[in-house]
Order: sequence, then structure tokens, then C-alpha cells
Amino acid sequence: MRLFHSLLQASIIALSATPALAASWTFTDATVSVQSKGTGVGGSQKESLKAGKPLAKAITLGPSDSLKIILTTQEDKSAKRPHQAFLLLKDATSNLDVSYPLSVKETGKAKVDLTQKELPTQFTRKGSKITASLVIASFGSSTGYNSEVFTLDVASDQGLPASTSGKPLRYGKLPEIHHIFRGDQKMPNILISTIFTLAAVATLPILLGAWLFLGGNVNHLQKALSDAPVAHALFVGSIVGLEGILFMYYSSWNLFQTLPALVAVGTVTFLSGSRALTEVQDRRLAGLR
Amino acid sequence: MHLFSSICVLLWTLSTFVLTRSVTGDKVLVVLEDSAEKDLYSQFWADLESRSFKLSFESPKTESLSLFKLGAPAYDHVILLPPKSKGYGPNLTPKNLLEYTNAGGNILLALSSEAVTPSAISSLLLEFDIALPSDRTSQVVDHFSYDTTSSAENHNVVLLPRPSPLRPDVVNFFGGDGILAVPKAVGQTLGNSSPLIAPILKAPATSYVYNPKEEADGELDVFATGSQISLISALQARNSARFTVLGSLEMLQDKWFDASVQAPGGKSVKTVNKDFARQLTAWTFKEVGVLKVGHVEHHQVLDASKPVSNTTQVGPADPEIYRIKTDVSFSIELSTWDHDHYKPFIAPAADAVQLEFSMLSPFQRLALTPVSTTPNSTVYSTTFRTPDQHGIFAFKVNYKRPFLTNVEERRQVTVRHFAHDEWPRSWRISQAWPWISGLWTIIGGFLCFVVLWLYCEPTGEGREKMKRETQ
Repeated sequence: MRLFHSLLQASIIALSATPALAASWTFTDATVSVQSKGTGVGGSQKESLKAGKPLAKAITLGPSDSLKIILTTQEDKSAKRPHQAFLLLKDATSNLDVSYPLSVKETGKAKVDLTQKELPTQFTRKGSKITASLVIASFGSSTGYNSEVFTLDVASDQGLPASTSGKPLRYGKLPEIHHIFRGDQKMPNILISTIFTLAAVATLPILLGAWLFLGGNVNHLQKALSDAPVAHALFVGSIVGLEGILFMYYSSWNLFQTLPALVAVGTVTFLSGSRALTEVQDRRLAGLR
Repeated sequence: MHLFSSICVLLWTLSTFVLTRSVTGDKVLVVLEDSAEKDLYSQFWADLESRSFKLSFESPKTESLSLFKLGAPAYDHVILLPPKSKGYGPNLTPKNLLEYTNAGGNILLALSSEAVTPSAISSLLLEFDIALPSDRTSQVVDHFSYDTTSSAENHNVVLLPRPSPLRPDVVNFFGGDGILAVPKAVGQTLGNSSPLIAPILKAPATSYVYNPKEEADGELDVFATGSQISLISALQARNSARFTVLGSLEMLQDKWFDASVQAPGGKSVKTVNKDFARQLTAWTFKEVGVLKVGHVEHHQVLDASKPVSNTTQVGPADPEIYRIKTDVSFSIELSTWDHDHYKPFIAPAADAVQLEFSMLSPFQRLALTPVSTTPNSTVYSTTFRTPDQHGIFAFKVNYKRPFLTNVEERRQVTVRHFAHDEWPRSWRISQAWPWISGLWTIIGGFLCFVVLWLYCEPTGEGREKMKRETQ
């Protein structure tokens, strides 16, 4: 009997000493609705949320819409007020997270209102994929609730330009700048230049042709060279030389190389020229010219 | 006897020549009011001393305590523990701390939610754009990753892994494996406008700042939530002096250096607080993340299309004057201090060290690529063409990044325009060909005329005329 009693007591103690399953927070009667401004009560998109099952469709929030979430928090089937009840919005690409506290009454009824103005500017940029989770937890040993409930699609205002002025200064790599050089000096079409060059050059054969037509010749060359070969050779040679020196000045020489050459060749021209022109005068006086 | 004494002197100088681990110096002032607290952090002090730092423990109420001696900082680094009384005393006013930072000293300020932060310090941090919660007893709690062994009810010992890089282009000095225990932390929020502040350790996404003295049934007024809470913040001033705000002083205690913690639903692991404290003090006291500029050079490259194989293809080093539209090569040597020696600095993959060639604003901004490495440094170089604008230009390397000391180098040069004999010659200008050909045609015609005049014989009518005149 005693043994039975002690066994019974021991078993009762053992049973009562078994720790109860750890309580966990959750929520029920949850709805999320998006109300557009000016459409009244009837024009809102309303969905009901279930704990542990995220919504398949994304909720769209326009520029003048307001998002409203109503739910009742529960700790293990009994409605209770937790210390922490947040709507946690997280951007998948930039890992930015922001929480909005729900206002919870003692009975566990909680609600939160959101407009696009309250969202950070990073969320209103295009291409941001935002997941919304509910975080319900409190002090003590109860396990908190933290899982995704829906995906939020932020529709930015098409009319407003994207605000680029708000970016703060951060130390980092700046965009590269490659200087764009001014283009080369533009020339007229090379064909036009070539045509006029050929026109200019063509005047020389025309001139020589005209002289030949008018009776030009170099018949006295033999006679002149036999009478004064050195003088004539030097004279004509030095005149050609002067032009040659001026060509060298044009192409590569500077003035300090040119002037002495000009002086030297000019002297030759002067001295040989007086003798050569005397010979020409002789021919003229002899009646040949 | 002389030999013996000289050997003694040599040995003595060698023994006192300790390679300082910090670039700035090794004198640390630790300000704590209650010397009984000192023993709670004995492993921390021992770790600092093993890295050859010389610690001086002073109470803030000491009359003779001064951060400066004869105008220069008396200590290289300062660790401030929270005071028991209202403030740090007349010797450590915010103005003194600011002067100390301006003089290049590094400060590690530890806060605790158990001790009231002096309002002067709160205002000082607000000037840095670091905001503290306005009620003095707030702490950071997280109901999802807390230590079940020590804070099963309060949830104020937050467990989190070591931080990952702040951005892909920022070096991470605080990363690694393991779990950190952050007990009773004071959460800070960082303002948006300053580029000088950066969070070292951010709180997990489900955490928030909670005031235990708040009315339990009132509306929850959150100061900050999630990763907006910075548990440890860093400020690096423009002179590269470092100021770290450590939100949880208790994480440096011996008890947390080798504690076993268990997150809800997790296994029991040992914390890595000791290793993290070492990383934190290494950064704050300039043992890591210090950049040094070595040799800076620029010269003209005569033919940029061919790689430079010998020195006759480059001009003299650092000329004062360049011409527009010439190829110029610029190189800079960067090293980073790594605890006890300089090692080559490699910029992170997403980052680039950039060169700006600018007059009033940059005309070229190019990435410098590492071309060669010495045992202690990396040489970064690039080649570019000077713009076709003449004027006074400067080669600027302005490399400022979070957690690295600032690098600002400027070399000024003149860029002149073309000289009179550097323009293209007239025959290369197609527009000038008609004029040139006309001129030389005239010259050719003149020479033909000279020959014709000298040697021509009258024919036809002229001959008849001549015959008549001479007869």
C-alpha cells in the first residue's frame, strides 16, 4: 500500500513536473487591405492572412494608397498582448530592413497603417522587391513568431521624377571620366583641293605651250655656251640654286641656315651674271636678238 | 671595461627597442572611476599589454589628469569607461576630447545600459551624427536570438555573428566565424549625412531598443529597430584619428570572453568576444587599416602604344611642364600597416584607387592598376593623354574609404600649348595644296622664263623686223 502510494505520488509529481510544451506566439483574424484615396470603403483590396502561409499574390501599394493590417495576437490560442509586434519590411537585394510597430490593445487586437510617405526612399525606387513579415514576440520563454506574410509591390508615382538630389556623400569609387578631345581641324573635301591643285599645276604646261606657239626656243644655247660656258652655267645654276635654297627653307631649314646660303649663292649669281649678260649684250649688238 | 660597458649599453637599447604594434604609439590611458571594476576585465588588459601597449589607469576625478602635456598629446590612445558620477570631470570635457581627436589621438568610448551616459557625451556624439536613446536606461533586446542561459526572461544578451563587409568595396577588419554575445547594449543610430561615421556591428533585424522603466501598458515608442541599430559605431576624423563607440561595455568582461551561450533552438557554443575585442582595439588603436604613401612619380611616355621596355622611352622623372596631348604615366606606391610591418596594399575587388588630373575640376579620372609589388608595398600606375586644354593641372590621388586612413596626394604641373614648331606642316593640310602648288608653279614658270629669255632666237615676224632694223 505504502509502495503503491509512494509510486502514485511519484508518478503524479513526475507528470506534473513534466514541462509544458513551450508556448509560442501567433496571430489570427488577420486581414491586409489597401485603400486608395478617394474611392471610399468599397474600393479597397482586401486579403486575409494566415499564419505560416504567405500570400501567393503580391500586394500593390500606390503613391496615394494606404495599407492597413488588422490582426489579433495570440499566445497559444489565447489572445494576449505581446511586447513586440512589428511589421518588418525587408528588401531582398539591399538587405535593408525597417519595422513598423503595430498598436496592440490588451485584448490582443492589433493594427497598423502605412502610406508610401512613411516608407524609406530606397523602397520607393524601381526594382526593389520587398517582403513583409510579421514579428510577434515578448519576454519570457515563449517562442516568437517571425515569418513572411506577403510580398509588397511599391508602385511609384509615374509623374514625379526620381529624386536624385537626396543621395548623401559616401566615400567610395567615383565614376570614371575620360576626356573627350576636340576633333581634328575639319578640312573641305579632299577632292575639291585636288581639283584646284591640278588646275594650278596645269597652268605651267599651258604657259609653255603658249610660248612654243609664239615661237619660243632655246636656239642660242649652243652659241652662248661656246662663248661663255662657265658664266652661263654658273648663272643659270645659281638662279636654280637660289630657288632650291628657298625650297629647303620651306621644308626643313631655319633662317640662320638659309641666309648664309642665300648670300653665298647670290654672290655667285651676281659675279657670273655680269659676264653672262655681257655675252647676251654681244649677241644683241650683233643683231642676233 | 669600455668594451663591457658598451656591450651593456647595446643590449639595453636592444631590449627596450620593442616594435610598437600601433602606428601612433603605445601609451594608453584607461579612465575608470571604480578600480574594483578593473578586475572584471583582467583578460582584456592582459591582451592589450601582450600587444605591447602601456596602460595607465586613472580615475576621471584625478586632479592632475590631462590628455595633453606641454601642448602635445600625453597619451596615444584613450579608453573611456562609463563614470559612476554625472560626468567625466573637468579634465575630460567634450571640448578636451575633441581637441584630443584633432591632435590625432584615438578614443574607445564604452557605454553601458547599466550606467547613465553623461549628457555631455550624448551631445558630443550627436555632433558626430551618432544618436543615443534619450532615456538613459534603454537597452537592445531581441526575442529571437538571445542567450537562453543568462537572459531567458530579459532577452537582453543579444547573440549575433561577426559582421560582414559594410559594402563590397570596403575592407572588413571585424569579420570571421563565431557568435558574439552583446549584453545590455546601448543602441545607437547613425545619421545619414556624414561620410565619416560607419557602423561596425549592426543589430539583427528583429531587435529593438527597449526601456525597462517604461510603462508596460503604454504605446511602444521605439527609438530604433533592426539593422538601423548600430551596436558599435566608428568615426574616423578627417585627420584619420579614430573614435569608436562601443555600445556594450560588458562584452569585454572576462565572464563573456569565454562564455558558453545558447540561442533559442540552437546548440551551446563558445563566444568569440575575445577575438573580436582584439580586432576592435586593433582597428581603433591603428594597428590595422593604416595606409602609407611611398614613392610618387610621373613622367612622359614617348610612345604609349608600345610597352615601356627601357628608360630611353620615358622622359625625366617629375617634370614641371608638359605639353597638351602627350602621353603621361603616373605611379604611386601604397603600403598598409599590418600589426607590426608594412605590407603591400591591395584595394578590394569592387574598389579602385583613382587618379584625377584636374585643373579646377577633373578632366580625367582613371583607375590606377597595380603594376608591381615590393615586399612592403604595391605600385599602382596608369598612362593617359594630357587633355587639350592648357593650364595649371594637378595629379590628385584622393583615396578615402571607411575604416582606412585617408590618402591625399597632389602634384602640380603646368601644361603648355603647342610650340610654334609643333603644329602640322602646311603640306599635311589638304586645304593648303592649291596654294602651295600655285606658288611652286609660278617659281617653275619663272625659271623657264629665265632660260627662255637668255637663249631665245627671234623667229617669224620678229626676225623680219630685226633684219630690217639692222640693215
